[in-house]
Amino acid sequence: MGVRPIYGRMRGWVWIALAFTWCLQGCSEGATERKVDALELMALEDVDGTLRPDEVHLRAQLLQPLEGEQPNLGMRNSAYWVKVSGWQGAPRNARIILDNPTVDSIDAVILDGPRVLGRQRSGAAYGKTEDLIPTFNLPLNVDHELWFRVRSTKPLVLPFTLTQVDRVKTMRVQRDLALALYTGIVLAILIYNCFLAFSTGQQAYFSYVLVVLTVGLVQWSFNGYDRLIWGHIPWLARNGLTIMGASSGLAALIFAREFLEVRRYTPKWNRWIQGLLVIYASALLAALLNQPLLAYNLVNLGALSAPAMIVLSLISWRRGNTSALWFFVAWLIFLVAVTTQALRDFGVLPSTPVTALFMPLGTVFEMLLLSFALGNRINLLKRSSDAANAKALAASLENERIVKQQNAELEMRVQHRTEALGQANAELSGALDELKGAQDQLIQTEKLASLGQMTAGIAHELNNPINYVQSNATSLRRDIEELIEIVDAYSEAFAAMAEGAHGAQAMAEAAAEKSRKLDLDFLKEESRQLVAGILEGADRTTKIVGGLRVFGRMDGDKPVKASLAELLEASITVLGNRARSKAKIEVSLQQDVPELWCQSGKLSQVFMNIVVNAVQATESRWSDAEQRIVRVELKHLMAMGEGVNTLEVRVQDNGTGMDEETRQRVFDPFYTTKDVGKGTGLGLSIVKGILDDHGAQVEVESTMGDGTTFILTFPITDEAQTKTEAA
Amino acid sequence: MTEETIRVLYLDDEEPNLFSFKAAFRRDFEVHTCNEPHKAVRMLDDAEFHVVLSDQRMPRISGVEFFELIMPDHPDVSRVLVTGYADTDAVVDAINKGQVYRFVSKPWNEEELRNVIKAGYDLNRSRVNNAQEGQQVLAAMDGFVGDLDRLTADLNSGHEANNVAQELSLLKGRMMEERIRYGRWVELQNSRSK
Repeated sequence: MGVRPIYGRMRGWVWIALAFTWCLQGCSEGATERKVDALELMALEDVDGTLRPDEVHLRAQLLQPLEGEQPNLGMRNSAYWVKVSGWQGAPRNARIILDNPTVDSIDAVILDGPRVLGRQRSGAAYGKTEDLIPTFNLPLNVDHELWFRVRSTKPLVLPFTLTQVDRVKTMRVQRDLALALYTGIVLAILIYNCFLAFSTGQQAYFSYVLVVLTVGLVQWSFNGYDRLIWGHIPWLARNGLTIMGASSGLAALIFAREFLEVRRYTPKWNRWIQGLLVIYASALLAALLNQPLLAYNLVNLGALSAPAMIVLSLISWRRGNTSALWFFVAWLIFLVAVTTQALRDFGVLPSTPVTALFMPLGTVFEMLLLSFALGNRINLLKRSSDAANAKALAASLENERIVKQQNAELEMRVQHRTEALGQANAELSGALDELKGAQDQLIQTEKLASLGQMTAGIAHELNNPINYVQSNATSLRRDIEELIEIVDAYSEAFAAMAEGAHGAQAMAEAAAEKSRKLDLDFLKEESRQLVAGILEGADRTTKIVGGLRVFGRMDGDKPVKASLAELLEASITVLGNRARSKAKIEVSLQQDVPELWCQSGKLSQVFMNIVVNAVQATESRWSDAEQRIVRVELKHLMAMGEGVNTLEVRVQDNGTGMDEETRQRVFDPFYTTKDVGKGTGLGLSIVKGILDDHGAQVEVESTMGDGTTFILTFPITDEAQTKTEAA
Repeated sequence: MTEETIRVLYLDDEEPNLFSFKAAFRRDFEVHTCNEPHKAVRMLDDAEFHVVLSDQRMPRISGVEFFELIMPDHPDVSRVLVTGYADTDAVVDAINKGQVYRFVSKPWNEEELRNVIKAGYDLNRSRVNNAQEGQQVLAAMDGFVGDLDRLTADLNSGHEANNVAQELSLLKGRMMEERIRYGRWVELQNSRSK
């Protein structure tokens, strides 16, 4: 809905402009008839402006005739004396008028020879409002001469005409009316665009408002109406037009720069525009410094900006700035208007009220077109902003769609992930089962390892007594044979002696000799010792086998009633030499402890494991075996009042000890301080498991560099019994 | 062969074993027993032994470690390891570190052990003989070189060539004798090792 109003607005403005044209035309109709060409003009240049009226007639021979309806003396600083003739015979109510409000000063002088008969002053510098179309009385005597002294800082165009007083009045009214109309239109445009400027906040509108204001003021100045505003100030009267002209130039250039987006479309032209701005600014400065001629010339130079704008807008349009076409047309109209004005001033075009209309009409159309252009541009901007909005809306809709889609995808993914998680969970449980299997296997391995340790120990322990039993038996047989030999020799000698046979003495001597040679005494002693050795060996073998019996089946899970004292003893015996040879093992076992339902094989594994660790700890600390001490204690702790009824096993060593971390992790599976391959790291974790099965507590006290104590506490309760029985 | 008495040292931490050993072999060899490794070292330093036996498992020091200890001072003595139970580590160590001559497990077979000790003695003897023979041959060679030097000096100082030639032929005779003697010894060694 914001796109449409341009047509409505345009149509409205066009109607107003047409009405204005028609009106002006109507107003100026009468004037066209009274073209007075009877007047003859002769001019005398007074370069310094110092000639007095009485001196003028003396220079009559220097007078130059002025040709054309609108003689143009150009822009000079000199004053001109113009002798007007041809008015003779005019009616009484006839008056001479000089319809050029930009002439600074006009002195009408009636001369009779050197004598000044009458004098009448007018011109911009005199600032009288009624003198906008100054009227001058004719001399009463036809012999008298009518002279005008004119001087201006603007081009000296002198459209002298002879006219009736009534007509002048009508002309003034018409002129006022035209300017009022013009002003009305300008004000309408001004106010409307002012409103737009503030409501849109577009900077282009502000500069446009400035353009309209200054152009309107220029037209006021041009028609002399400026003095209505500031009254009679000679300085302003002389410089007002140039100030306004320069200001409007500045405003137009600033507006053009913004409107045509010079920096975007035609960046190279920015220099030119800056140059033109400098020219106008200098003009303004010159006018303010009261240098009207220089200022006027500078403003004229600045008029170059009109063609420049035309070319610039065309280029801008070619480069895609569509609004530039409006601008082009506007400036073309303005240029045509200015050119027409100039041609009229120079007399190329007839100075009729119609041609006089070109300039104000041109400016009005220019302003209107610029207004349309601005509206168009704003609409374009709005359209592009609407398009951008639509795009943004589409983008946000698209975003929404994408978000929805992503949500759906996300849900799907969550579902997938959930399924995957379920699967992973199942896999993990599988892996856990496998791990448990592996752990069982490892425990089995550890069991086999301790079985191997035990076997080695048992083999060594058994082989030694077997060795000497066997060896002693062999030796004993030999000793006995020798003893029998001696006995035989003696018994033969004894028999012979009894028979009184010859040589019995010799036989007895031979027997004695034999017993000496075989060392009878030694043989007797050796035989006794060999027998003692055999007995000892047999005893030791019995003891070891008895110890083994206590273990029961190595991996038997069946609980048996066993004494921890016997179990400990058997374990240490089985460890035997292997442990005993490496460290001093002090055993202090309370013998009268109650029996405990337990898995004896597993418990012996526990005891062996802990004792072997203790021995190894002492080995790491002491190089001399004498200093390595492992103490194994068993105590029955009973305090009925506190409900304490436990068996306590303490295994204490004076080895290296552990740091706090090791102490805390000592039962962790796979945690080992031994070299790679030397320990599975499972021994103590299995110990812990077995002790847990027995409902036993295990505590580790350790001081780094001082030794470690394992304290196992076995409860003697019916629960413990049932528990182990259930296991 | 065994004109000489075979001197045997047995080291074991268990007294009954020492007694059994002595009772079993006292008729065949001159048996010395000991239950302390450092005592055994002293005994080896004090008198010559042909064969040393040691138990593997003892407090403080193993049999292999004991052999390692005595090797630098008594390289020729034959080492026999006696053990109730041998794991792989012990066997590997016995061969690599202790350079054990034989490996006997408990309970021992008396006859077998006797033969092991005898063979150990032979090994010891041949090691010692080899060393002695080597010394003897070297000494003979040194003597010949000295004689040759002397004869060369005589010849240079203008002794009569006839005398020198006579001496040379005598020297040749002695060298031939030594050669024959050494040849017989080598033959003997070869026949023994077969």
